[in-house]
Amino acid sequence: MIFRAVEDADLIRQATRGGVESYNLLVSRYEKRVYNYLLRITGNREDAMDLAQDVFLKAYQNLRKLDDPGRFAPWLYRIAHNEAYSLFRKRRPEVDGETVEPEATDMGISVGATSVFPIELSLAVASALERLSPDQREAVVLKIYQGFKFEEMAEILSCPVSTVKSRLYTALELLKAELAPISPRGVS
Amino acid sequence: MSCSPFDLRDYYLKELTDPQQRQVESHVKDCPACREELERLRLTQAALFSLRDEEIPQRIAFVSDPVFEPSGPRRWWTAFWGSPGRLGFASAAMLSAALLISAATRTFGPASAGLSSTEVDHRIERAIDASEARQTSKTTQLVHELAQKADTEHQLRLVAESEAEYARKQAYSAELKSGEYVTPASN
Repeated sequence: MIFRAVEDADLIRQATRGGVESYNLLVSRYEKRVYNYLLRITGNREDAMDLAQDVFLKAYQNLRKLDDPGRFAPWLYRIAHNEAYSLFRKRRPEVDGETVEPEATDMGISVGATSVFPIELSLAVASALERLSPDQREAVVLKIYQGFKFEEMAEILSCPVSTVKSRLYTALELLKAELAPISPRGVS
Repeated sequence: MSCSPFDLRDYYLKELTDPQQRQVESHVKDCPACREELERLRLTQAALFSLRDEEIPQRIAFVSDPVFEPSGPRRWWTAFWGSPGRLGFASAAMLSAALLISAATRTFGPASAGLSSTEVDHRIERAIDASEARQTSKTTQLVHELAQKADTEHQLRLVAESEAEYARKQAYSAELKSGEYVTPASN
């Protein structure tokens, strides 16, 4: 945990009392993370930006409903998840709301632009992620890229921890097979 | 299948309790297969981290409560200008439009910009008149100065001549008084 002079919980308390600047500080701490989460599950920069705006707006409007300020991050990502799936439903209204899935094309991820890794590796990773199901990919994004615990992921995705683990571990097995295959003499 | 007392993936992702973590660590020290499995997990995670987070194209900020309802046009506007490609295209389009407007409306000479030809002719005529008037005024002044100068010189010459005449008369009177001149009748 990174030490912060003012904790999120304090900012949330100030924001609920009308402290817009406190909320702005809170937004600045989370906007990049939330944007990248949305980018990786929508695969579209404009959608991710629009959704991020809506997420922080909705979060502010509902800040008083947050019972435990210490659970702000999963609560915020829960809003982000819902907003993203709401967009998917709007785009594909003929599909049932529970089964709707984001389009599994164009991950919208910048590959190798400022990376210290070889571009071939980044391309291989993007390709491997695209082959996952949207649920599996979201589990990988929340765990590997966003660093949430299983319980928090279950809260965000509104499903049991066992489901979260199942999605994540299936995804990790697929990714491992592609990105770290077993060589005849051990790990490649 | 792993022979670890707990799931190695739980261990790798730090989802075990401290005692469980220690048990797995102890097991892995003596188990090459589990070490290899952990190494593959580490490589997979390292590969996944080759995809870096992107910078958010536009900062999100809230100013005050009344603006918290983003209108459709505002969101469209924000999204439009948030795109570097669109911004570049719009800039290029504005530059092109400015060049076209400039080329269509430009006339030679800054004073004639935006005027009809009649107005331009009229202004030229007025400018010529003003120039001629200035020239005439200068000429008149010069002639006047020359006339004044000639008059002064003439007056000076007259004064000089008067003074010379007076001097001659004075000399003649003096000669008469001294008797140097004898009239022919007295001879």
